[in-house]
Amino acid sequence: MKNTWVVMKRELGSFFVSPLAYVVLTSWLIFTGITFWILSEFYARNAVASGSDTPLSGFFGGSALFFIPLLVFVPVLTMRLIAAERQSGTLEGLMTAPISETSIIWGKYGAALVMWAMLWIPTIIYAWITSQHGSVDWGAVGSSYFGVFCLGTYFMAVGLLMSTIAPTQIIAAVLSFVVLGALFAVGVGEFVLDGTLREVCAYLSMWGHMHSFSKGVVDSRYLVFDFSVALLALGLSIAVLKARRHG
Amino acid sequence: MIEVETLSKRYGTHLAVNEVSFDVKQGEIVGFLGPNGAGKTTTLRMLTGYLAPTAGKIRIDGIDAVRSSIRARTRLGYMPEGVPLYREMRVHEYLRHRAALKHVSEVRAAVDRVLMLAGVTDVKNRIVGQLSKGYRQRVGLADALVADPPLLILDEPTSGLDPNQVRQFRDLVRGFGGSKTVFLSTHILSEVQAVCDRVIIIREGRKVADLTLGQTTKLEDMFAELTTNSVAEPNP
Repeated sequence: MKNTWVVMKRELGSFFVSPLAYVVLTSWLIFTGITFWILSEFYARNAVASGSDTPLSGFFGGSALFFIPLLVFVPVLTMRLIAAERQSGTLEGLMTAPISETSIIWGKYGAALVMWAMLWIPTIIYAWITSQHGSVDWGAVGSSYFGVFCLGTYFMAVGLLMSTIAPTQIIAAVLSFVVLGALFAVGVGEFVLDGTLREVCAYLSMWGHMHSFSKGVVDSRYLVFDFSVALLALGLSIAVLKARRHG
Repeated sequence: MIEVETLSKRYGTHLAVNEVSFDVKQGEIVGFLGPNGAGKTTTLRMLTGYLAPTAGKIRIDGIDAVRSSIRARTRLGYMPEGVPLYREMRVHEYLRHRAALKHVSEVRAAVDRVLMLAGVTDVKNRIVGQLSKGYRQRVGLADALVADPPLLILDEPTSGLDPNQVRQFRDLVRGFGGSKTVFLSTHILSEVQAVCDRVIIIREGRKVADLTLGQTTKLEDMFAELTTNSVAEPNP
């Protein structure tokens, strides 16, 4: 546990002294700010048509604008985790220290989850802004953030796995983009397919996932999916790191 | 301190290390020599647990380094070739991080001790990436020493250093004077002659010589003979 913390602390320290952190966080806030503004404008002008939807439920689950930036920002955040250590050679120092591969991967994952949280914490201000001009269902806001956290557990684990597999950071980013993009595309199948395939696509859909959470509905099927994918990706990352010793 | 038995490492069809066996006793300073591509770095990476052997046994301080790799790693300090360091950290931060990874109990005292020992106290607040190669090399050595291990494994420790820095390094290693076991790879023969008690030479993955160095040993001639002719079988 202590080793995990030591790895995590260093990863976060190195992230927050890099310009990358500030470029990513700033761009993210600009993007989500514009998204929130567009949605607020839309709902203000179409109060009747919007029904039970609110700017916040639209922000978290009603629009593709939520996912498209994530498909870019998540790979950029996670590409460094292991691939950067491999490229710079510091992985050798890490893997010859008396710590296990499990500690290394959990430490990196912990850091990735903190980065994920750093993306989202500032967006709480949108809920506050809305509350100043209308009513806010804080229960739905809470479940939205819970949904965001659960989505993050598997997004970051997939990014970490790709960073463990890939020889360079760029390849790690491209692989994460492809895998998360494919998972996003599967969700679209819910609208175009029929029968069992439609059910499967609905279950895998990150769109359906956030749509449900943004309405205040915590659907345990999505949680099972998120945590299963996260644990699978982490287990595979540990296995890949162990297999490297046999390279 | 190191016991290696018929150690082999295969990469695909290429046999990088081929049934190498040797022992290193406590307190010895042993040079591991060979031409480029002879398998020196691969051997050191197996000793330090970075790579798993394809076959063979390694014991570090009596611990099976293949089965109990993590426990064996607590007994050694390793300085990899090229000394990769986290360039964005300050020297003392980096050493504190490494000390914590190596389960050092008194981190501050341990870091102060190795800053002094490796001669990097004056740059302890500098960022690693801004240091000269010589200083980075010394930070790498401080890292290897921070947990006060009984065994040091150093891969090309003086490559890229200027003559003064090489001399300082040699003085430091000689200063261990039997208190630590040192196993260092190099292809600089004068370095081996200056600091080592014994030399092991490998070529194309096979051990071709293992000899104690005396005043009169003509290492240069011997190295040329052993590494330029066809591969000789190790002495029985």
